[in-house]
Amino acid sequence: MTPTSPPSIGFLERLRRREPEALAEAVRDHARPLHRAARGLGFEEHEAEDLVQDVFVTFLERLDQFEGRSQLRTWLFGILHRKTLERRRAAAVDDRMDPIDEVFEARFDGNGKWTRPPADLERLLLSKEIGDVIRGCMGGLPVHQREAFVLREVEGLATDEICKILSISVTNFGVLIHRARARLRECLESKGWERP
Amino acid sequence: MISCKNVAKLLMSDQLETQTTWKRMEVRLHLAMCRLCSRLARQIEQLRSGARESRIHSEPDPELEERLIRRLSGR
Repeated sequence: MTPTSPPSIGFLERLRRREPEALAEAVRDHARPLHRAARGLGFEEHEAEDLVQDVFVTFLERLDQFEGRSQLRTWLFGILHRKTLERRRAAAVDDRMDPIDEVFEARFDGNGKWTRPPADLERLLLSKEIGDVIRGCMGGLPVHQREAFVLREVEGLATDEICKILSISVTNFGVLIHRARARLRECLESKGWERP
Repeated sequence: MISCKNVAKLLMSDQLETQTTWKRMEVRLHLAMCRLCSRLARQIEQLRSGARESRIHSEPDPELEERLIRRLSGR
């Protein structure tokens, strides 16, 4: 089994029988990316480990509902998403209005030409510290935008899979990733790292 | 001719691949001619590389999987 293919029926049966080797295989394949995503979503080291354990416990409890049509990874990341919302109490967040949209719009004139062009961030983006700076800026992203950004840009998942995990449409994903990038760019520009 | 604002929106929202062939060509042509939009496109790529770089600092310790397996096996 690879992390990106649907699990075989035999493997699922072994998991349902709670065979230790099957459970160990699932943990070895998926715990690390789940933990990394949890850290990317702003959880501290010990919180992330606790969260990943919680994901696997829920996974085992609900294994009978998993039909094996999607990837195990998609199912597990979906559980991580719901656990994140529970812990962040963010399920009721309304993403329809976001002030970052106005900030983006204000960069263009009525004809769609740049009035405030993207600053030259080359020096910052190619610097050794960029990982730390981006992690710091990610702290300012609302949870849904942060999830979309982490799954796409950090974990490199495809749009279809992210939409399944977050239970959103491709259009909604476009809005979230657009706002996440816009917010990160504003944050990077505010750091004043522009080329003199 | 497609505007800078529309090009920026398509790039930032990852919606370029869902566009028609003609629209994608129009965007590529715009990027070839517009220094500011091509800067934005380059920055989106660099932001991605930087974000992947950040995950190096988020890697759990090597014992994570074994600890989880021990705890989950006891359930």
